[in-house]
Amino acid sequence: MRRLFAFVCVSCCLCAGHLFSRRASADDVAERAKKLHFSSIVLDTHDDTTQRFFSKNYDIGKRNPDGHVDIPRMREGGMNGIFFSIWIDGRIMGPPAVQKALDQIDAVHENVRKYSKDLTFCRTAAEVREAHRQGKIAALIGVEGGHMIGNDIRVLRMFGDLGVRYMTLSHFYNDEWADSSTDKPIHNGLTDFGKDIVREMNRQGIMVDISHVSDKTFYDALEVSKAPLIASHSSCRAMCNHVRDMSDDMIKALAAKGGVIQINYEKSFIDQGYKDASEKQSGGVVAVFDQLKKECGDDQECFGRKMVEQEKQATAEGKLPHVSWERIVEHIDHAVKLAGVDHVGLGSDFDGATMPDGMEDCSKLPKITEALMRKGYTDDDIRKILGGNTLRVMEQTEKVSRELQPH
Amino acid sequence: MLRTILAAGLTAGLFVSAGTFLAAGVTADDISARAKKLHFSATVVDTHDDTTQRFLDGKFDLGPRDARGSIDIPRMREGNLGAIFFSIWMPSKITGPEAVDRALVQIDAVREQVRKHSNDLMLATSAAEIREARKQGKIAALLGVEGGHMINSDLGVLRSYAALGVRYMTLTHSGNDEWADSSTDKPVHNGLTDFGKDVVREMNRLGVMVDISHVSDKTFYDALEVSKAPLIASHSSCRAICDAARNMTDQMIKDLAAKGGVIQINYHVGFLSQEFRDAEKAKPELEKEIQAEINKRCGDNEGCQLVEGDRIVREYMNAGKLPRVDYTKIIEHIDHAVKLAGAEHVGLGSDFDGAMMPFGMEDASKLPRITEALLQKGYSEGDVKKILGENTLRVMAEVERVSREPNGNK
Repeated sequence: MRRLFAFVCVSCCLCAGHLFSRRASADDVAERAKKLHFSSIVLDTHDDTTQRFFSKNYDIGKRNPDGHVDIPRMREGGMNGIFFSIWIDGRIMGPPAVQKALDQIDAVHENVRKYSKDLTFCRTAAEVREAHRQGKIAALIGVEGGHMIGNDIRVLRMFGDLGVRYMTLSHFYNDEWADSSTDKPIHNGLTDFGKDIVREMNRQGIMVDISHVSDKTFYDALEVSKAPLIASHSSCRAMCNHVRDMSDDMIKALAAKGGVIQINYEKSFIDQGYKDASEKQSGGVVAVFDQLKKECGDDQECFGRKMVEQEKQATAEGKLPHVSWERIVEHIDHAVKLAGVDHVGLGSDFDGATMPDGMEDCSKLPKITEALMRKGYTDDDIRKILGGNTLRVMEQTEKVSRELQPH
Repeated sequence: MLRTILAAGLTAGLFVSAGTFLAAGVTADDISARAKKLHFSATVVDTHDDTTQRFLDGKFDLGPRDARGSIDIPRMREGNLGAIFFSIWMPSKITGPEAVDRALVQIDAVREQVRKHSNDLMLATSAAEIREARKQGKIAALLGVEGGHMINSDLGVLRSYAALGVRYMTLTHSGNDEWADSSTDKPVHNGLTDFGKDVVREMNRLGVMVDISHVSDKTFYDALEVSKAPLIASHSSCRAICDAARNMTDQMIKDLAAKGGVIQINYHVGFLSQEFRDAEKAKPELEKEIQAEINKRCGDNEGCQLVEGDRIVREYMNAGKLPRVDYTKIIEHIDHAVKLAGAEHVGLGSDFDGAMMPFGMEDASKLPRITEALLQKGYSEGDVKKILGENTLRVMAEVERVSREPNGNK
């Protein structure tokens, strides 16, 4: 009951103009939303599930009691496209970073092979559409942080050949050639070599991801790249003033060049109250991350478990406020109003972030479709947000890559 | 004066195999019409070329004809080299993530050359793709990793190499790695360790050929026992003719063949000729001298060192400081292996751009001489085609078949 009340309230406040959605019976909308959602390509551009492949306790083929992503829950939530994130601590650089990244890329491929009835590895938009036609989940790879190429453009190409389809230019720390939003700037954005990397990504058909990077790095990448950019998992700074999010101007500039901001569900990135309390409580995401790193070392299982435990406890003690999943929809709506419905997508950060109430895992994704429908979004618009926009950027990136090939 | 010594060297060569008398007289211009026809209609596969090292300084390109080295597109065309395994190599002492990183860079270098010369080259990862490249009039480029040290004891890395197109891995190079003994190092593992056996099994599953060149005899036998697919010796010759640990004994060749494998004959003069080997051993100062000259010309550029080493040794042979070795020695090794194991189990693994080539086989353009010489020895056209490439293609197809077997997928 309470939940229903909250839901209606938020809907009314945010978009009063959509009479139709209010007129229609709740059941009718729910039914239509369900139909729409489960016939759409729902492509999530950022999931840290890859880390879990290294745990003996995790099996993506079975329903897991913890975490946010596995095949049964993807099926339940209609999530039929997923970018598995390749990620290691941004302070690991050089050849060790390269090898660890290779191991994670391999782990994705091995899991796809193991569950080939459900998963299909995809490199192109056409392959994602084909997987969808076959009723399979499209598995893709993104590298979250330029530090993993070992400062070597040739390694980037090999990642591309192994199926990597986007690279986030930095993670929490500056790498050798790009400033991060959560580190002290030392490169004034992208270095000349960093610009070469963006050009090479264009040539290889690897999407340039500007989540995590500093504002200056974003503008540098936007200027250099011949293909549209993505922000694979960032939200709106106007609604939650976090450096990891994008300002209205950035979102508009990204969209003007055809790009897409894929909204991140992390509570500290979508809710100002939560972000403020979290910073007061533990110093913010990077500090929390560093603390957990100290406690768990390389044990990702420990890392994930403690993150959830600490967060739960702080919320139970009232030190951190509850955040509703509806904040995600608010961010989507804000970005759509700013930049148009062609420039917004989904980048959950599942298995790598703290999820708001009601979006506990990927099985809850149909709620987003229903909420957008109730806000008066058309079926076409919703399809774009769920995955169509990301597919468009992929196609555009592929086209640019073909144009840049030697003839 | 010099000529006399060279002639003596040549005579010694003939002495070992009197049958090659005619072949010794062949030059590029007088390949018979029959040999030409046969050679240019065959799929010629070379399983080992170190040309990759030359890509690394960014100056060398496969496109134009090069005055140095043995391999470039014009000379491959001239010699009808239809498929070439580019070797990914670094010294055994480079280990850990550094080795992985460097191997990736070399794989990239090969793939970039293929991308750049897509009218002439095609990356191939199967026997069928080699045949398809031939059909399109292109040279098939393949990848082999020369030394297990480059996976840093990580099957995930091995799988990534396979995904990037690597189709064989030599279990060691000159030094032992973490899980296999080399023929040119002190044994520490008694052949393959348990993990080494897992590596072989994973290679079977992935369809990556197991290459036993360079490994110790015990490692060879361990691999032979574990592998479900035939093995290759991508660049080894016959120990009965030239007693180098890098070559295979008659028994090893027979055992390799009994399981369907192929020994791809290496053209390196030090593996072909006992006389050359003995002379080298007798004059260690020569090796130092040659090394000094190489360093003078190349500094620490590996690609340059390999190519210049080849030239300098031929200069020394020419000057009579080392016994002259003629390309007919290659034929002798092929013939020895064929007599032992049958024509189905011998192939070509030149070691171009990574070793010292005999006179008459200075580069890939000289390959038709092998066809001519084998025909002159009385080999049937069918047998010659097998040796030139069909045997290697058969092993590839068999390795692919094994990798598809359901029980191969754990």
